[in-house]
Amino acid sequence: MVATATSEVVDERTEAADGVQPMIRMRGISKRFGGVVALDDVDLDAYAEEVLAIVGDNGAGKSTLIKILTGVYQPTQGSMTLDGQPFSMFSHSDAIAAGVDAVYQNLAIADHLTPAENLFLGAELSRSFLGIQWLDNRRMKKIATDTLRDRLGVQLKNMDVLTESLSGGQRQAVAIARAVRHENLRVLVMDEPTAALGPQETARTLELIKTLRQQGLAVIVISHSLDDVFEISDRIHVQRRGRCAGVVRTADTTTEEVLSLIVGAETHE
Amino acid sequence: MIDTSPEVPVKGMTLTQRLEPYVSFIGPMAMIIAILLFMAIVEPARYFRTSNLNQILLDAALYMPMAMAMTFVITQRGIDLSIGSVAALSGICMAFLMKQYGFSAPIAVAIALILGALMGLVNGLVITRLKVPDLIGTLAMDLVYRGIALVIAKGLVLARFPELITEIGRGQSLVYLPTPVIIGLVTMIVGYLVLTRTHFGRYTIAIGSNPEASTMTGIDVDRHKVYAYVFMGTMAALAGVMLTGKLNAIQATSAPYFNLHVIAAVVVGGTSLFGGRASILGSLAGVLLLSMMINALVTLRIEFFWQSVASGAVIILSVALYTWLQKKDRDGSSGMAGILGSARLSRTYKLAGAILGALALLMTIGLIFAGNTGPSG
Repeated sequence: MVATATSEVVDERTEAADGVQPMIRMRGISKRFGGVVALDDVDLDAYAEEVLAIVGDNGAGKSTLIKILTGVYQPTQGSMTLDGQPFSMFSHSDAIAAGVDAVYQNLAIADHLTPAENLFLGAELSRSFLGIQWLDNRRMKKIATDTLRDRLGVQLKNMDVLTESLSGGQRQAVAIARAVRHENLRVLVMDEPTAALGPQETARTLELIKTLRQQGLAVIVISHSLDDVFEISDRIHVQRRGRCAGVVRTADTTTEEVLSLIVGAETHE
Repeated sequence: MIDTSPEVPVKGMTLTQRLEPYVSFIGPMAMIIAILLFMAIVEPARYFRTSNLNQILLDAALYMPMAMAMTFVITQRGIDLSIGSVAALSGICMAFLMKQYGFSAPIAVAIALILGALMGLVNGLVITRLKVPDLIGTLAMDLVYRGIALVIAKGLVLARFPELITEIGRGQSLVYLPTPVIIGLVTMIVGYLVLTRTHFGRYTIAIGSNPEASTMTGIDVDRHKVYAYVFMGTMAALAGVMLTGKLNAIQATSAPYFNLHVIAAVVVGGTSLFGGRASILGSLAGVLLLSMMINALVTLRIEFFWQSVASGAVIILSVALYTWLQKKDRDGSSGMAGILGSARLSRTYKLAGAILGALALLMTIGLIFAGNTGPSG
């Protein structure tokens, strides 16, 4: 029963989201590292107000794909558009400037700084006094508190503690807040957002992702947890051995079907 | 446990959370109080004389600028072992400029500070461009700077300097406190402002805390490392000027153990050798603690050589204590304040008691040995 579904669902991807123009459109993306082909002719569409999950085995090319999307790697072949405009970048900061940011698995957070200091790390607000640029800690703290509360619905008891004393979910929220603080953020990529979290923290993070979708972002989530994927995603993009093995609507599919796409067990030649 | 859910009201900080930033300060303060109590019992008349307290501050002042800058270097996961030689070479150059080439004192001091900054720049470039590990790089540069100082000064002792230099080193014309103490305290305040209110200070903590994340957010890690070493070199040169003024003399072999003394003060003050955790206030307390301890040993007429035994013991004990606290930290309680407020309280106090006991024991041993040397006026 699973086998028959495979060929049909692949065709479904371009019809998703009622023919609306995708926020991100990747076409024919290939990436080779020397002789190793990490990605081979992959297409990917992500829409605003949508959560797209990318699943696949280790080495299926998920990480390479999002690193290309966020400007960390440049593709060997292929093209991308962002909101209909041709889109190419040479660094991660190019991607951030264009409105594409990522929250990585290791969170890229400095434990010995407060949440507000982490939110503004590398982009601090300052005031000039006596010819010296002094950090405007009060304003940064206020904006950080507002961003966490208004965008993510997270209120920390105490904004003055070091980030190391926060829970995994709160650290996650700080990392997400750093990305959404940018006014022009349109695409947020999240690499294994729930991997290091307990059940309660996971539930909260999934709620956060839904909140971000409501705010109109195109959210791309890489996850190994199919439970999480089925709870939050609208569509699932399955990677296998560097190729796209299929894109399915979450509502129309089952865990078994996605699993069979991941392992490629039931394909008929 | 802090909760993320929105319905939890925002509460003010608890007392322990308020105390958290000062925990590193409390450690050395406890040791300082222990020394004061011990000396109040054993040798109050000589230790608490105004002239002696003044002497303690004078000794401490010399190390304040260096301890402040070293806090930045260590927080960035670096270390600078060359500061003694930087101080000596800057002092020698300043002395020669005045003695041999007739430069006025203010200009000679300015040139000394610039030379210190240049030496720091070289240190920074050796570490970031040549990729020599900081420990080896600054140790080797220590030899280089000391060598150059010896080449310039040969075995000469340069003495008798203009009033400005002695004023910087031991004068008292500004207020009640000696001028070098004022200079030291001002550098500490500047260091505190730089650490908490400037980009450089913020990036110093970020780089020490998570270098990869810092690079990712666009911070030029190498550039800020070089800045820290330039800062360190300048402050070491300032210490060289202060030392020259204090002794009214300088020679190439001056300031031999500045590096270890300063690193000890910074580490005792709670700045983490593993990076990211900085405490300027703690460094000030650390400097005071070491000066008081050494002065106590002198007052008790303990042989000079015991000083280095005591300094070494204090370094080991503090690093062991902080590492132990941080391990506890990772084990689940929230911050160091969490430990003070937790059920493990008694164990923490026992450890602190053991450290203070060891310190007292050390002094007692010294006192017994001192009995043999006999009092001398």
